[in-house]
Amino acid sequence: MSEGPAQTIVLQSNDNVAITVERKVAERSMLIKNMLEDLAGSELDSAIPIPNVNESVLKKVIEWCEHHKNDPQTAADDDSDSRKKTTDIEEWDQKFMQVDQEMLFEIILASNYLDIKPLLDVGCKTVANMIKGKSPEEIRKTFNITNDFTPEEEEQIRRENEWAEDR
Amino acid sequence: MSASTRTVLAPMPDAPNREDLDATWKYLEMGVSKIMTNLQDGMDMKTYMGVYTAVHNFCTSQKAISSTQAALMGSQHRGAHLLGEDLYQNLIKYLTTYLTELVTASKTHADEALLTFYIREWNRYTTAAKYINHLFRYLNRHWVKREMDEGKKNIYDVYTLHLVQWRVTLFSEVHEKVMDAVLKMVEKQRNGETIEHGQIKSIVLSFVSLGLDEADPTKSTLDVYRYNFEKPFLAATKSFYEAESKQFVAENSIVEYMKKAAVRLDEEEERVNVYLHSDIRSPLMKQCNASLIADHIGILRDEFQVLLDNDRYDDMERMYKLLQRIPEGLEPLRSKFEAHVRKAGLAAVSKVALDAEKLEPKVYIDALLEIHTQYQGLVKTAFADEPEFTRSLDNACREFVNRNQICKSGSNKSPELLAKYADAVLRKGTNGSEESDLENTLNQIMTIFKYIEDKDVFQKFYARMLARRLIHTSSSSDDAETSMISKLKEQCGYEYTNKLQRMFQDMQISKDLNTGYKEFEAQMLADSGSHEKPIDASYAILGTGFWPLNAPNTDFTPPAEVSRAYEKFHTYYDQKHSGRKLTWLWQFCKGEVKANYCKSQKTPYTFQVSTYQMAILMLFNENDKNTYDDIVKATQLQGEVLDPALAIFLKAKVFTMSPEGDKPGPGKTFNLNYDFKNKKLRINLNIAVKSEQKQEVEDTHKTIEEDRKLLMQSAIVRIMKARKKMKHTVLVSECINQIRTRFVPKVPDIKKCIDILLEKEYLERLDDDELGYLA
Repeated sequence: MSEGPAQTIVLQSNDNVAITVERKVAERSMLIKNMLEDLAGSELDSAIPIPNVNESVLKKVIEWCEHHKNDPQTAADDDSDSRKKTTDIEEWDQKFMQVDQEMLFEIILASNYLDIKPLLDVGCKTVANMIKGKSPEEIRKTFNITNDFTPEEEEQIRRENEWAEDR
Repeated sequence: MSASTRTVLAPMPDAPNREDLDATWKYLEMGVSKIMTNLQDGMDMKTYMGVYTAVHNFCTSQKAISSTQAALMGSQHRGAHLLGEDLYQNLIKYLTTYLTELVTASKTHADEALLTFYIREWNRYTTAAKYINHLFRYLNRHWVKREMDEGKKNIYDVYTLHLVQWRVTLFSEVHEKVMDAVLKMVEKQRNGETIEHGQIKSIVLSFVSLGLDEADPTKSTLDVYRYNFEKPFLAATKSFYEAESKQFVAENSIVEYMKKAAVRLDEEEERVNVYLHSDIRSPLMKQCNASLIADHIGILRDEFQVLLDNDRYDDMERMYKLLQRIPEGLEPLRSKFEAHVRKAGLAAVSKVALDAEKLEPKVYIDALLEIHTQYQGLVKTAFADEPEFTRSLDNACREFVNRNQICKSGSNKSPELLAKYADAVLRKGTNGSEESDLENTLNQIMTIFKYIEDKDVFQKFYARMLARRLIHTSSSSDDAETSMISKLKEQCGYEYTNKLQRMFQDMQISKDLNTGYKEFEAQMLADSGSHEKPIDASYAILGTGFWPLNAPNTDFTPPAEVSRAYEKFHTYYDQKHSGRKLTWLWQFCKGEVKANYCKSQKTPYTFQVSTYQMAILMLFNENDKNTYDDIVKATQLQGEVLDPALAIFLKAKVFTMSPEGDKPGPGKTFNLNYDFKNKKLRINLNIAVKSEQKQEVEDTHKTIEEDRKLLMQSAIVRIMKARKKMKHTVLVSECINQIRTRFVPKVPDIKKCIDILLEKEYLERLDDDELGYLA
């Protein structure tokens, strides 16, 4: 299955644009991979509808999948490892994630929906790095959040999370 | 990227409102239902993606908090809450309904039809479960995962949930009927009918899949399968074989039954391979062993003696194979076998033991070997060379080799006869056997040797006979001798064969010495210018400690010619090794004498004689007549040596005696017989006398007793030196342990040795029956 002429499939974004991709690339998404396996034998010539993702985000996601198409498949649920604990991001992915905030969140949502765990990880790490080292006020500014805590509530949260403070 | 051209497609169908549970579920149920009941019609991508998306959307919607969840989520619930429980519960409800209908449908089937139904539905259901699991993957990834991480019981991923529901709703209702059908089929097969065993295999796999570890849902267990499949299966097996074997034994012979049982066991083994789970192999075989073998152990064992008596190798092999399957099954067989071999061995010995005194070593050893070979063959062919049976054989052999009718007269008889046999084999000219035959015979000797308890007795006799072979150069082959010694060394260690090896070395050194002496002698003759022809003599120098030989027990004056020769040699030897004392063992020397006096003969006769005989003959160079007293005076030989030597001359008619009489002795006169005649030109007059041989055997036994005492004493001293203090009884048993490889010491003998050591003050008596070591 890995060799031979690269099999292509068509994805349909929710704004009804057809995008042709190599099957191997699309299978970075567990959703698509499972579906292709489950529906093996039935008609694959029609486009696969992706109801939750629009064209520009889908293209961006496909770009990532293209670059990572030869990565080893991570085992179904290896939560435990160091991969999770570190916020290091490889260089290509860092560049890839240099997009506006709205796109960033769209990519995260899409990768969650399409079940592309490594991409979801990269997205979340990017956000985590944006938060790292910032004061609450700076964070609010970065993400455009209005502070809706009362001073009392804020004090209580600080107390409860004292253990996590840098000392 | 390939998607540079924009193709616009027809819009997708609408998805249900993400916040409306009822609408969402209605949409999902349609999809699930289609997969469950109608998958063969195929599934289209739109529905697939639609269902997945609906699940995703519902779980990610912000506001859809159902009433149950709202109640559960108090202020203590922190962090993002995940939606999904409603979908999960609805799915359970759906599955329960679906399965309840299946249960009702199953009631219309029975036996094989029920199996077909069960398998068909199971396959359909599990395939659907796989699909649904993929479609609900978002639920698995988030809501289910969170619930499980928080330690909630009875929450499973969607696929496992399907299995659990199957077990709870359907399996619990139908498994007994399914199992009945399975057992009916198996019984049919056991009765010789052909069945479609693929069905049973499918049932097994289904039962196995239903085993879930309650403590850890990611693992599976065999509990469900074991309880619902194995248990009834084993019970059915038990009753089937109990009934069958009971009837078969009543109607057939034991041998026939053994054949039948073996076939049955093979069948069951095959059954496991073909369609059962390998987990059942061990309990199933155990059950079969119990019903087919252990239940009939008594009559099987009784049959064994009959088979032994009739040499039924094949049937014994059958029995061995059956009984080895049950614990302790073989032990009684082994003891029966051991007793049988011992009896056979003793019988074989008593057959040849009619005249113990004249018993030929070869006959005796052959009798022992025959029994050993026969039963070793039995162990090999019928008992798979099993070590325990080999041990029984060894025990039996040890018994009949060391304690039999021959050994009654003296326990040393077996090793003595074995050593004599070895001597006969290794001596020149006794048998013109091939090299490989010789090696075989030596191995056979070692076989018996292994069982000999009094290995020291063998050692003594062997050493004596080896000495004789070496001195008289009557070994058939050096290679065979070395091979035998190395075999003994392998069995008993360096110390056992040390002296034997030294004897060999001495002979080698002597050979070189003789060559050296020949040169020395030639030089000396050349120097003196003499034309005297020296005696052509060869000498052997034997280390005193290594050879089992004693100095002669008579005085002797060798003839002048001989004296001159050996004195010359003495001079030579002193030059080479000064300060060594040489003792001449005249009794082992021999020579050849030419008889030039015989009238009737042109070519003179050659007499092969001992040195003593030579000395006597030389006297007749001077006088044709010598009186007994003259001879005694000239040779200094004592009567017990002189008389037999003279007797041989008389018997061969070399001398005549006057006055005539039967025995030489004082007052007789001996005349040289000029009319001597013989067919042969070389005549061997150096014949060992019977009484001498007997004497030698007795001497050997005596030295063995002496050596044993020393061996025991040195063992005791060694032990005490190491331990310093020891109880009397412990010392005795330790001593037996150490010496056992050589011989089996008797307890009173050890006690005697301890007493001797106490007397010599190597040991002292302490309180409480203890002995102490005095340095």
